Amino acid sequence: MAEAMIRLDGVCKRFGKLEVLKGVDIEIGRGEVVCVLGPSGSGKSTLLRCVNLLAPPEEGEIFLEGHDICKGPGSGTGEESWELDFVRQRVGMVFQQFNLFPHKTALENVTLAQEKVLGRSKQEARAKATELLERVGLGDRLDQYPETLSGGQQQRVAIARALAMDPHVMLFDEVTSALDPELVKEVLDTMRELAAEGMTMIVVTHELGFAREVADRVIFMDGGVIVEEGPAGEVLENPKEERTKQFLGLVLDR
Amino acid sequence: MSEFFHQYFDFTIMGDHFSEILEGFLRNLLLFAVAVVLALIFGLFLALLRQLPGKKFMPLRGITIAYIDVFRAIPLLIILFLISGGVPYLNFLPKDIRIPHWFGQPDPFWYAVVALTLVYGAYMAEVYRAGIEAVPGGQVEAARSLGMNHGQTMRHIVVPQAVTKIPAPMLNEMISLLKDTTLASVIAYSESLLLGREVLAETFNSSAVMLSGLMFLVVVLPMARLVDYLIKRNQGKITRGAHMEVA
Amino acid sequence: MRKTRLAAFFAVLLLVLASAAVAGCGGGSDTTSSGGSGGESGGGEPLTVGSDIPYPPFEQGKAGNYTGFDIELIEAIGEKIGRKPEVQDTSFETIFRDVQQGKFDAAISAATITEEREKAVDFSNPYYLSEQALLVAEGSPFKELKELEGKTVGVQQGTTGQELAKEEIGGAEIRPFPEGPDAVNALKSGTVEAVVIDAPVAENAVEKSGGVEIAEKIPTEEDYGIAVAQGETELLEEINKGLEEVEKDGTYTKIFKKWFRAPPPKAVFSATHEAE
Repeated sequence: MAEAMIRLDGVCKRFGKLEVLKGVDIEIGRGEVVCVLGPSGSGKSTLLRCVNLLAPPEEGEIFLEGHDICKGPGSGTGEESWELDFVRQRVGMVFQQFNLFPHKTALENVTLAQEKVLGRSKQEARAKATELLERVGLGDRLDQYPETLSGGQQQRVAIARALAMDPHVMLFDEVTSALDPELVKEVLDTMRELAAEGMTMIVVTHELGFAREVADRVIFMDGGVIVEEGPAGEVLENPKEERTKQFLGLVLDR
Repeated sequence: MSEFFHQYFDFTIMGDHFSEILEGFLRNLLLFAVAVVLALIFGLFLALLRQLPGKKFMPLRGITIAYIDVFRAIPLLIILFLISGGVPYLNFLPKDIRIPHWFGQPDPFWYAVVALTLVYGAYMAEVYRAGIEAVPGGQVEAARSLGMNHGQTMRHIVVPQAVTKIPAPMLNEMISLLKDTTLASVIAYSESLLLGREVLAETFNSSAVMLSGLMFLVVVLPMARLVDYLIKRNQGKITRGAHMEVA
Repeated sequence: MRKTRLAAFFAVLLLVLASAAVAGCGGGSDTTSSGGSGGESGGGEPLTVGSDIPYPPFEQGKAGNYTGFDIELIEAIGEKIGRKPEVQDTSFETIFRDVQQGKFDAAISAATITEEREKAVDFSNPYYLSEQALLVAEGSPFKELKELEGKTVGVQQGTTGQELAKEEIGGAEIRPFPEGPDAVNALKSGTVEAVVIDAPVAENAVEKSGGVEIAEKIPTEEDYGIAVAQGETELLEEINKGLEEVEKDGTYTKIFKKWFRAPPPKAVFSATHEAE
């Protein structure tokens, strides 16, 4: 079997006294799109933040492209340049709250990290940024500030910003949950295209329709552990576990 | 009642000593100008030190926090006395530094500059901190996810936004500093209050001191109004509700 | 766990409040009768007396325990006239104004009788004959007042020493300090190069604090008087009478010898002053 893109082994994460992840094992292959479902507090967001070391785990190992990122030279403090170089330039993340830099234009949001982190020249960065922003349909809004953009537009800028770093993996943390319903589609379309192009994606979401269509696999989490996982069609249509059934029932009944 | 007015509003005395008190007041302004710049810089430095992340910087953060606590707790006047009374005795320093007469300003001026900088630096560090902490943490997460390190995140994302949130409280500190320049009178710096008190000793009348107070009024009142205006304007910004202020 | 933290907080709060309360009870007010001659001095009204403390050897000590030449003298006078003095610390630069406005009945504070001051207050007969001194650091090259042109000179704000310095060495940087001892400290630390101050105070500084010496004495023929508000002729007469009696019966000489270790000059006994 090909080397997994990402592998988590017995990952545990605590915040103070609160145990959020209680032993998570998962493997994600190159080009896979995995959707993570579950009630709030189940640890889904924390899982993502472990993968890019925003919240390094207390126990367990995480392998990215075969390298143990929890035991590397920087080892889990999240502050050392080794992790920044290795992990965060391979893993991009898009957030529920967009988190665009309000004092920078859309274009500048996408070029900033390219210049400062990757050392690309101004022209290079601009060219790439322009290309990406056009790809997400915002080519006419390059010089606008985030406060003039709609939520959906901002989220698309955020996606372009993450993509500008040429990541191997993209993490999506409930990226449509803060959007007005009319704006959800444009973002999901962008993500759909990304998946079609073969990007490895971990998507935490409530959008079951998207999961059914686009995901290769679905993971259901509850209480800090993975309750059930498998091919999208199976888990969503014929969940095996009680808790999964309950959750899906609740979501679908809306 | 008229006796009261005579004691404080004797216009003859005010007129006679006007240029003298004004000269003294200009010294207050000079002291303010020098100290406020140094305090703003020192305060930013302290604030940034306090933000250094990770286990290995913990002692540095601890020292910074301790410094800020101590220098906000001990009265400025006491610190002023300790400096002006103690520094000249530090025999391991050359005389030029112990008893400075730089740029034509006598040593009490420089002791006052140091005292004001040390104390107001601490207060301003807290204002900066409030500004830094007001920058939504999500942006820091985003910057870090993009691979920016702590220094880059502070420099490009946090500090530029933090400084736009702090003009009002910072101006308040600056106004305080301006008023506190009068404390230099107790170490014999010839600023307006000291000169006013000299006139008081000569004439047995406090009008020159009142005059000094009025000069402060003229300068501080517009500054205070500016603070009010900035606060109002900032509130407007928050309620206009940009998308990114969600949660 | 939360409960212990809360309890700890209240313990600290209680401690802070308790110490504040204790501090409030313990400290005495400044308006107390000084030590020295105990015992009731007659049934008269207390005499409120202002004095700029410290100014050794004339006045020094802590509230409730003031002592010094001026203090003991005013107590002796008080006894003679049947009024108990209550000495209150005040700043020298406002002392005459305060007497004028009635804040004190009288002021005794090594205060020289000058024309300017007579515009605000009336003075008793002189009780001390004084002059100024130039105080310098031990081993300093300065020998005369004139040599200090262009140098930094410390004085106490509102004193005749300050006036003298302004007159004689107007080109010097004259630093006015709120208290006499502040000027002496500045001399010792080196921030000023000389101090112009009352001779007896200078001598006291040489003896008690060391590291300083008197370069020269400047005979300004100053007389110290006790100040009362203008128009208080009765009180002034009483004080003058009291002073006379204290001088006659040897108490003055006793106090003088105690603080200056030498007999008083004869001239002081016959010194008179007409209130203007």
